Amino acid sequence: MERRKFLKNSALASSLFFVPNFLKALEDVDLNGLGYNKLVVIQLSGGNDGLNTIVPYRNDLYYKARPEIAVSKNEIIKLNDDLGFHKKLLPLKKLYDRGDLSIINNVGYPNPSRSHFRSTDIWQSASNSNEYPQTGWVGRYLDEYGKKAHQAIEIDDSLSLVLKGEFKNGIATRSSSSLYKLLHESNFNRILEYQNSNHLNEHNLGYLYKTMIDAKSSANYLFEKTKTYNSKQTYPTKNPLGGQLKTIAEFINSGLDTKVYYASLGGFDTHAGQVNRQEHLLDLYANGVSAFVGDLKRNNSFKNTLIITFSEFGRRVKQNAGYGTDHGAANNVFVIGENLKQQGLYNDLASLSDLDANGDLKYEIDFRTIYATILKKWLKVNDKKILNKSFKQLDFI
Amino acid sequence: MNKKHILHLYWRAGFGLLPKQLDLLVGKSKEQIINDLFLESKKISPLRINTTGLDAFKEETIKKSPEVKKDYNILNANLMKKYNHIWVNRLATSKETLREKMTLFWANHFVAKDARIKNVEQYNNLLRKHALGDFRQFVKAVSKDSVMIQFLNLNQNNKSKPNENFARELMELFTLGTGHYSERDIKESARAFTGYRFNFKSQFVFNEKQHDSEIKTFFEEKGNFEGDQIIDIILKQKQCARFISEKIYKYFVSEDINVSHVNLMTEVFYKDYNIENLMRYIFGSDWFYNPENIGTKIKSPIELLVGIGRIIPIKFNKTNELLKIQTVLDQKLLYPANVAGWKGGRNWINTNSILVRIKLPTMLLEKESFTIQPKGNFTDKFKLVSVKNKYQEKLDVRVDWKSYQKAVKKVSSNDLIFSLILSEINLGTQNYLKTLGRLTKRKNLSKIMSLPEYQMC
Repeated sequence: MERRKFLKNSALASSLFFVPNFLKALEDVDLNGLGYNKLVVIQLSGGNDGLNTIVPYRNDLYYKARPEIAVSKNEIIKLNDDLGFHKKLLPLKKLYDRGDLSIINNVGYPNPSRSHFRSTDIWQSASNSNEYPQTGWVGRYLDEYGKKAHQAIEIDDSLSLVLKGEFKNGIATRSSSSLYKLLHESNFNRILEYQNSNHLNEHNLGYLYKTMIDAKSSANYLFEKTKTYNSKQTYPTKNPLGGQLKTIAEFINSGLDTKVYYASLGGFDTHAGQVNRQEHLLDLYANGVSAFVGDLKRNNSFKNTLIITFSEFGRRVKQNAGYGTDHGAANNVFVIGENLKQQGLYNDLASLSDLDANGDLKYEIDFRTIYATILKKWLKVNDKKILNKSFKQLDFI
Repeated sequence: MNKKHILHLYWRAGFGLLPKQLDLLVGKSKEQIINDLFLESKKISPLRINTTGLDAFKEETIKKSPEVKKDYNILNANLMKKYNHIWVNRLATSKETLREKMTLFWANHFVAKDARIKNVEQYNNLLRKHALGDFRQFVKAVSKDSVMIQFLNLNQNNKSKPNENFARELMELFTLGTGHYSERDIKESARAFTGYRFNFKSQFVFNEKQHDSEIKTFFEEKGNFEGDQIIDIILKQKQCARFISEKIYKYFVSEDINVSHVNLMTEVFYKDYNIENLMRYIFGSDWFYNPENIGTKIKSPIELLVGIGRIIPIKFNKTNELLKIQTVLDQKLLYPANVAGWKGGRNWINTNSILVRIKLPTMLLEKESFTIQPKGNFTDKFKLVSVKNKYQEKLDVRVDWKSYQKAVKKVSSNDLIFSLILSEINLGTQNYLKTLGRLTKRKNLSKIMSLPEYQMC
């Protein structure tokens, strides 16, 4: 990296060479100025079957394509004359009725990849399907507007592409204390105790030290800030997503200056025996999210939180021989928040008679228009800079 | 050749040296050391795995029966893990240091992956065979290998419906780099690669019926080209020699490209596209040993892990744990994220990976417990069933302390640090090291290897 760029991007830009006790100074760097809005992204990993989630219960083509695995009409929670929720999404019906949920159908991108890895990369980097970028869209947001690693948090042990920027990265943690503990149980803290600012230059070794200091500072911040927090909300047990969302609620309600949170629920790759499996997963999702929204409301933070849910792709319209579905293309995206501009169903479901060459739903809305809209209207930043391109603004918020 | 320069050479051309190995080389001339380095890698030792368990599977039955296919896939997946394990072991123990380092490099250049072990084994050994050979033959061999044919959809490249995936990556990632060819060049060359197939024995098959034998225009040349001729035309472009030279410079010398050095390399490589000649030229150049190139590269996770193993032999009793470490550190051999490969350098480092990298030596050597879990696969169900928040694990490894202690028996603290750490050591770290007492003591090895300085090579 050029020296100038390094300085510009360094959290220490102003204090680097002038403050002797730089470790302390770093921990005190003043943040904010980015507004109070928070974004929570939930990835349903593995490719959730969107057609059995938001069901076209009046469409004969749907029932013809899925004789064994279609959701039957009498089990549907009706949303309008054409579409209905899978029965396990009942906890979300309340949100829907209050206008806190917007469902965007047929979201995808041109020349879709049907590989989990590739498509996840494409969604996380907001790239075209023939590009291989090494940064994620949230990482680039940090590059432009972030000051600290913990301004974007993934609830996990390792960092996904989405939170990696060119110069800055978000941070992954399982809980408010897991990083803090990790620092204390290794040689990490001891090494840092002996350091002075000599190593903090633009070279690679300086970068390692800087990253270590960032990690320490973020770990301490998360631990200290959440110390006194105590949630009264009950979360569903044996629900991995619920656990992650509980941690996120703890962070949000403790007043962290984190802007973006990332959570995920895996297991949606239902090639065989789909019905029971997806039912269980949707149950986990709906109950987890419902408790989360309850928690945020109780603490008056729902109004500043927007939750989006996506999956790297939808699944094939036609069921396969194993009572499951194979990898598909376009899928639905859920947007949850207060004061949504377009509540309920954002658009109609794509035609089931006009499918692509693989027999998958054609996309109508590029997922990057959703990102662009959220960046500009919700996080109030320059979406073009982050997405490297201008995308249409949608009007769901 | 001075000690520092020998270490530098052996870190870039290999994975470091023990103090006693260093002592054996000191006093030899630069020429002799470099000659020996290449001599040691003259031999090609294929990395083999026993796949006889797969012999029972016949192509037709796999296609017909989903149950058989499932068994076939599971066996393949297990053998793949095992192959990863023996590859890591090979890197940590092989005497053909440079060939193995180059194989690792090419695996991240001609990036391809496959789930079938026999194909993967063949491809891995193809990389090893050509690692120091003729680049022209190398590219041609890669284009005809089953793993590449499958990975970049050459097997779907037909006369009537060309698939451009391979043709595009051939130029963008393998030979020229973006901006040095036109969309038309891609379309025309894709036609030349039509009909490339492979059989169940992983052998190349040229399907004439699917091959487009009409005239193609490629880089201003017209002809009834086949794939090999397209590769010849690409190699006529000096940009190809430059592109490879740049990539090799970044990997073996420095992330910061020095244009005049790369120019010199380009001239050398363009002459005959001989990889060994190019590497000899680099290691023989004075600029390779410039201070700004020594100890300034961030080790890849594999370099870190294998480098530790070269100092103190470590045996993983559970292959899955070795894979887990590679996953958490973002470099799992045989499972590249995408065709562009690992970017390397600072991309290895983020707030989380640095924590694991610093902790890794104590996890390995002190059996310190850890609570780091890799992300789940898309297909697995562990996230569904296990909601344990507190899992403390310890690696099941056997550390050969005896061999380490023998190796450092008469070594001074200074000499140990000198051979373990190539980068400059700042005052704070020097003070910290002073608190540790005699550094060759067993308990100090993980402390030295936990230093950020140890992350550099």
